[in-house]
Amino acid sequence: MPLQFLVPLFLAGLAAVAIPIFVHLTRKQRAKVVEFPSLMFLERVPFHAESRRKIHHWLLLLARALAVILIVAAFSRPFLRDSDVASGATSGPRERVVLLDRSYSMGIGDHWERATDAAREATQQVGPLDRLSLVTFASSAEMVIRSTVDRTRFASALDTLRVSDQATSYGPALKLAQTILEESELPAKELVLIGDFQRTGWTGEEGVSLPEGTIVTPVAVGDEAPENRAVSAVSLPRQRFSGRDRVTPTARITRLGGDAPEDIEVVLEVDGRELQRSTVQLPAEGSASVTFEPFTLAERHTRGSVRIATEDALVPDDAYYFVSSPGRALSVQILEDAQNRGASSLFLQRALSISAENVFDVTVRATGSLGPDDLTGTNVLVVNDRPLAATSATALRSFVEEGGGLLVVLGERISWPTELGDLLPGAFTGPVDREEGRGGRLGYLEYDHPVFEVFRGPRSGDFTGARFFRARGLTVEPSDSSTVLARYDDGSVALAERLLGEGRVLVWTSTLDAFWNDLAVQPVFLPFVHQLVRYASGRTETLASFQAGQVLDVSDARAMETAGLGEAVGALAGEDELVTVTPSGATAPLPAGEGPRFLRLEEQGFYEIRPPGGAGARPLVVAVNVEPSEADLAALDTEEVVASITAGPRSTALPGSENARTELLRREDQERRQSLWRLLLMGAFGLLALETVLSNRVSRTVRRGSHATA
Amino acid sequence: MSHRPGRGTAQSTGAQFLSPAILARIDNLELLARTVVDGFLNGLHRSPYLGLSMDFAEHRPYMPGDDIRRIDWRLYARTDRHYIKLYEAETNANFAVLLDISRSMSYGSEGITKLDYARYLAACLTYFSRQQRDRVGLVTFDHEIVTYVPPSARNLDLCLHALDRADPGRPGSLGRPMVKIAEILNRKGILVVLSDFYEEAEEAVSAVRMLAGRGHDVIVFHILDPAEIDFPFETPSSFEDLESGERIPVIPGKLREVYRKLVGDHSARLEDAFTGGRIDYTLLNSSHPLDFALFRYLVARERKSRTR
Repeated sequence: MPLQFLVPLFLAGLAAVAIPIFVHLTRKQRAKVVEFPSLMFLERVPFHAESRRKIHHWLLLLARALAVILIVAAFSRPFLRDSDVASGATSGPRERVVLLDRSYSMGIGDHWERATDAAREATQQVGPLDRLSLVTFASSAEMVIRSTVDRTRFASALDTLRVSDQATSYGPALKLAQTILEESELPAKELVLIGDFQRTGWTGEEGVSLPEGTIVTPVAVGDEAPENRAVSAVSLPRQRFSGRDRVTPTARITRLGGDAPEDIEVVLEVDGRELQRSTVQLPAEGSASVTFEPFTLAERHTRGSVRIATEDALVPDDAYYFVSSPGRALSVQILEDAQNRGASSLFLQRALSISAENVFDVTVRATGSLGPDDLTGTNVLVVNDRPLAATSATALRSFVEEGGGLLVVLGERISWPTELGDLLPGAFTGPVDREEGRGGRLGYLEYDHPVFEVFRGPRSGDFTGARFFRARGLTVEPSDSSTVLARYDDGSVALAERLLGEGRVLVWTSTLDAFWNDLAVQPVFLPFVHQLVRYASGRTETLASFQAGQVLDVSDARAMETAGLGEAVGALAGEDELVTVTPSGATAPLPAGEGPRFLRLEEQGFYEIRPPGGAGARPLVVAVNVEPSEADLAALDTEEVVASITAGPRSTALPGSENARTELLRREDQERRQSLWRLLLMGAFGLLALETVLSNRVSRTVRRGSHATA
Repeated sequence: MSHRPGRGTAQSTGAQFLSPAILARIDNLELLARTVVDGFLNGLHRSPYLGLSMDFAEHRPYMPGDDIRRIDWRLYARTDRHYIKLYEAETNANFAVLLDISRSMSYGSEGITKLDYARYLAACLTYFSRQQRDRVGLVTFDHEIVTYVPPSARNLDLCLHALDRADPGRPGSLGRPMVKIAEILNRKGILVVLSDFYEEAEEAVSAVRMLAGRGHDVIVFHILDPAEIDFPFETPSSFEDLESGERIPVIPGKLREVYRKLVGDHSARLEDAFTGGRIDYTLLNSSHPLDFALFRYLVARERKSRTR
């Protein structure tokens, strides 16, 4: 904390310190002069020279010299830089919030060390009354320290921080900082934003507005963006071959930077063993795909990764992890009329049999009576235009309530037992012909519903080509459990849904063959049927991997289905304590109990979930990848950030940081805040008053001595 | 009589002493001189020294060229030889006071300055000499001659007037004035030098001995103020040289003894040197009565008359 002067030129005035010394040495000459005939003999006495140089009133001299020094120092406008005193002498205590970027791009080179150094430096510039808050952020923000005056605690917390595997997002952190600053009662507010200022983390719509007067100090630790290669995505299409699933991984490799094509070697690893190695040529600022040879999924929770053989500056995005299990097909049971066997379900059966991943296991039965065991293992029951016996009511209700899917196709032969009337979203009526013109069309589709969501985009499926010549009427009373998903162009219901228990009931008011409509010969028929059955089954899409920063509720069956851990839902229901092993090898318990059991997926790699002790079956595995957008290292202009979150242009940078291009506080500001010159002048006046008292006392003493001599 | 110069101290004469401070109240120097001298003579009328000083006669054989009117015919009648009677002419000696009126002589710590003291003494000696029928003159000088009154039987008033007007102002030194005095005082006589001798003893003695070398009878009075002798100051002060204006800070208590020793050594060297050159030297304290000085003068004159 060096002492600096705003106008150091005034320090030349320190030469004036010689004045009181000179006065002291010559004072006696002016005080009393004795005329003497000749100094011939006095000059021969050596003693007088010593007495001339001797200072007799040290306290007086000290007071005078100090007063001169203080006055000169006051005019030089001193200020203590980056010190406790300096901070204490400012206009008031400060609330300083330090935002520290922990995104994985901070792991490049020495960015993280520089960032933590800048954070420590920010702590050294605060006074005893100032409060410090530390907020780390990546894709989310975390309050590490809230408004503490304990710098040691702050520094200790800083020492424990590491770079995360998450991407940058400024919004949450700035919101949190805004909250801290707004709730602070301290008069001065400062925000120190430390990071590499990646453009990908800034949307420009953060909606942050810091309190007025907040001083924002951006500290950019990133250098010029280095060339970066990344495995941005891996797709895992499957084929069924000899009853086993074969996966053909295709990885997308992107390259940011560079100026010439480059051959990149990419490695596929499965269960920790290198399976294949392939070379792909990457253009500058471009991307390429590499497709590996298929491999057979032998075990559940097979771990796989695709990584670039040669690491670059940003390591985490050089690998992509995934988990894959042998597929478990959806069991679909179709009930059709025995008299029309094979005809009404032909299109449906064929459509379900065409699947790249063989997800549907279709069984066609010509019975209208269902016993309790007939639906065991069935995921979806399709009542395809046939009467259903009243005896089936109990089995069907329990099937639906326990999570089964029911698709009812209302054709010419359908009849529905009254006991099961509440299963349907509404009561259906007789057939209605649409013979005018070329028949009716689907006029309304609920694209927000999962059934039609995939058709939402342009060229994603055209339902308008289908002609509907006959359909049954369906009266649906809209409620929380009954919803109309599609209507014909005349407003009548085409598809309706009812939620019952854990299951879903879908009612299609026309046929799924080419008798009442020609939808079955439209290209959209196949994906439409797949979507219907998938949705009815309630099975969600299984993710091969998650992204760092996401949270998995182990007790949530749907979430576990998504994670590909659906078969373990029962085991994870909360009865037993579980242990999680993170990619870095740390273990954490997932305590048993009711309610959510959150697993925070913070690290890149494979998370294992298993009972304590680890004995028994193959552990459940979840793959976690970094967000690929972070691979774009293009930097943001710090001024843009500052301007968008502050009302005024009061942006400065921390001194000492290599990227600090401007002063934290202008020297004038710092000096003005401290106003040390006032203290110095007051001290000088005090000393001058003391000098007056002392000199009067000395004068009286001298006069008394003179009179005594006379 | 608290201050007595070491080697220059004389015994009390028992005469009526008048303090110089009291004499200072008399404005008229002639009255002052008369008062002092008459009182002094009255106190010494039984002294064996009276009349021996200047009433001296001498006969010498007549030489061709001598004025025949000076032949002592009565002695010729008894001895049949021609002798010339010289006493009348020789006993009317020239007397001159050489008074130092340099700036340093203006110092006085007890109501009377050294110059005043010297002035009174010069007046007294001149008056006294005139009583002895001597021709009296006066030379005042600092670093050169300021006033010159040639010795004459009629110049008593002039001398007293010049003494009265003597005004100190300039720095002094003995060398140059003494040379000039030796040049202008051709006729041998009695020269009384009054000075404080603030210069190196060798230089002062050398200058004065030049007069003695020309045949003058030289009597030196070294006049100092009691403060110059005893240095009684107590308060640390700046001492300013009256002649040069130079100032030095001095703590008197710490150098008093050394100063006294230096002054004593100086006067001792002067006395030794003057005495060695057959010059009478007397250190006078300006607080002492003038009678003492007159007494010393008479002693010196008597000694010179014996050795002539």
